[in-house]
Amino acid sequence: MKLLEDAAKEALRDAGIEVPRGVVAAGADEAAAAARELAGDGGRVAIKALVAAGRRGKGGAVAVVDVGQARGAAERILGLELQGAKVARLWVEQAVDIASELYLAFAWGTLAPRLVVSRHGGVDVESAGHADPAALVTREIDPVDGLRTWQAAAAWDAAGVPSALVPKLAALTVALYRAFRACDALMLEVNPLAVTPAGAPRVVGAMMEVDDNALFRHPAWEAMAEDSAGPGGRPLTAGERAVAHANRTLPGGATRYTELDGDIGLLVSGGGASLYQHDLVLEYGGRPANHTDFSPAPTPDKLVAVIDAIFARPQVRGLLIGCNVLQLARCDLIVEALAIVLRRRGIDASRVPIVLRLFGPMEAEARAIAAQFPGVHYLPAGTSLAQACREIVEAVRALPAGADA
Amino acid sequence: MSILIDEDTRVVVQGATGNQARFDMRYCLEYGTRIVAGVTPGRGGETVEGVPIFNTVDAAVRATGADTSVIYVPARGVVDAILEALDAGIRTMLSLAENVPRHDAARAVAAVRRAGAHLVGFNTNGLISPGKCKLGGIGGDRAHALFPPGRIGVCSRSGGMSAEFGLALGAAGMGASTVVSMGGDPIVGLRVAEVLRMFEADPDTDACVIYGEPGGTHEAEAVAAIRAGELRKPVVALVVGAFQERYPQGASFGHVAAMISDPADSATAKRRLLADAGVRVATTLDEVPTLLRAALAT
Repeated sequence: MKLLEDAAKEALRDAGIEVPRGVVAAGADEAAAAARELAGDGGRVAIKALVAAGRRGKGGAVAVVDVGQARGAAERILGLELQGAKVARLWVEQAVDIASELYLAFAWGTLAPRLVVSRHGGVDVESAGHADPAALVTREIDPVDGLRTWQAAAAWDAAGVPSALVPKLAALTVALYRAFRACDALMLEVNPLAVTPAGAPRVVGAMMEVDDNALFRHPAWEAMAEDSAGPGGRPLTAGERAVAHANRTLPGGATRYTELDGDIGLLVSGGGASLYQHDLVLEYGGRPANHTDFSPAPTPDKLVAVIDAIFARPQVRGLLIGCNVLQLARCDLIVEALAIVLRRRGIDASRVPIVLRLFGPMEAEARAIAAQFPGVHYLPAGTSLAQACREIVEAVRALPAGADA
Repeated sequence: MSILIDEDTRVVVQGATGNQARFDMRYCLEYGTRIVAGVTPGRGGETVEGVPIFNTVDAAVRATGADTSVIYVPARGVVDAILEALDAGIRTMLSLAENVPRHDAARAVAAVRRAGAHLVGFNTNGLISPGKCKLGGIGGDRAHALFPPGRIGVCSRSGGMSAEFGLALGAAGMGASTVVSMGGDPIVGLRVAEVLRMFEADPDTDACVIYGEPGGTHEAEAVAAIRAGELRKPVVALVVGAFQERYPQGASFGHVAAMISDPADSATAKRRLLADAGVRVATTLDEVPTLLRAALAT
């Protein structure tokens, strides 16, 4: 879960780290009032699009202006479109006097967190890293011992910052690591990590991604968690929203559904087998209409939502239901979910190829339900996942042009 | 021989009184696994599936000589369960916990590695040395049918796919020495390269199969071990998830991923890396036995 700037900075403040004072504003008037309140009439403020995206500075979504210009800057940023959606809210905060900009991040390596620091921060941090690789220093952190002050000092020293800054940066870095750990963060980036004209390091830009698996320790964020972005950051489609809702409200394991451009619906399960089957459908020349990964459920309801979302799209011309040979979900409940949607939508399975590779508990009952729908092709025991993928691709390819569900 | 577990393995089950543990224990006992103890604090003195329950791992180990632990304790308690097992002297353990927070996983794995112990998982569905011992849910009630014994070492990031490997090998008249379902989480206790080194040292393994997915450095480490001459037995690999490269990626969130991530962690890059090191790379499971035969014939 990506925390927006307001939540990320609040978490850092709660961890005892000094961050610029700021507020969320929903419109230009609110932003102008907030700017006056935060910085006074002669002061300066930073106004930023409150979106879960990096590289806002490059995209013109950050402005540092005199309070008198806050409204204009806010209007301009609110007119921007980022990741396919209009900017709806702003973060307005006190501007920090910046003498130089550094960079700091914590992220995950193979088995342990990593500290990344650079003496070049700001919007050009990536290109600066290429131009001056010696300034970028990465250190592995022992997950049991944590980060020691001297280790943080050594990293900044290696990055080549002035000696007088090293102890202050080391102390701030250790405090930020404690916050990274206390927040169950997967990523914490401070950019820029500003140095004021008086030589004090200050957190200015901050973004944080926290571990969904640890939200039980962070109930405030759990309440905010609502994954609202599809691939590439596009907004969720109606079908994806329907499945996400079913996933939250109906019994059963986690079920994911992402719509794509093709014509073959995929209802595939098992982390590995869903990836494998998607690869093979493409390999054989098919075009998936979606990706899924579903888990067993005690009732057919959640799967009905997924299958209904698949067949709600007129472009879908076939469906593959493919599960691992050893799967523990009741086969009859899966086929019952299919039957409910076929009846509800009046789908003729002899014109819309449906291939099932589904073995396991209650398989005989499942086969009996499938047999009520002529055209549903329930593959015999022992059929491989690859054969099932080939089967659906060839069946859809054999359809007359223009036929659809 | 086999790796990690065999017919002499003496097993303690942590969290033995839960539903999933009971379900799996029944099939493991039927298979012949020597489950000698269970642990659930507060339930000491009871029995589950005929197995005595203790309040602590230490008491279970002292009373029964258990040397391997299967841990059903869920994510919230799993770090403590692992530390308790280590403290009781257990040096081989499996964790079936799903959705373990990353910071917890890292701490537990670091402690396990410091102790020189082996942790299979998190989020593994089990481990089987066919005909000798099975731990966890792997194979369910059909372990004999799905995993015929043989001389191929299998190391898979996906539990479901381990069963597909067993099926594909069996259909070709082959079988496995040990099947390790590594667990699909970003942080797991064993590295693929370590499992391959164990198979290298196992006289009853002739060749290995690895199954991988996008992300992480398992394959790169395996390739480094092959190039260093540590792994001489043939390896066949299946790496899936190349489709992800065709679709738009999530918008960048921060710069750090671009600055430190390894560009070689896509499925396609992994396939290339492995093939360049002499690993035979399959596109489908169905090809795996043919590639193994070809590799063993050379």
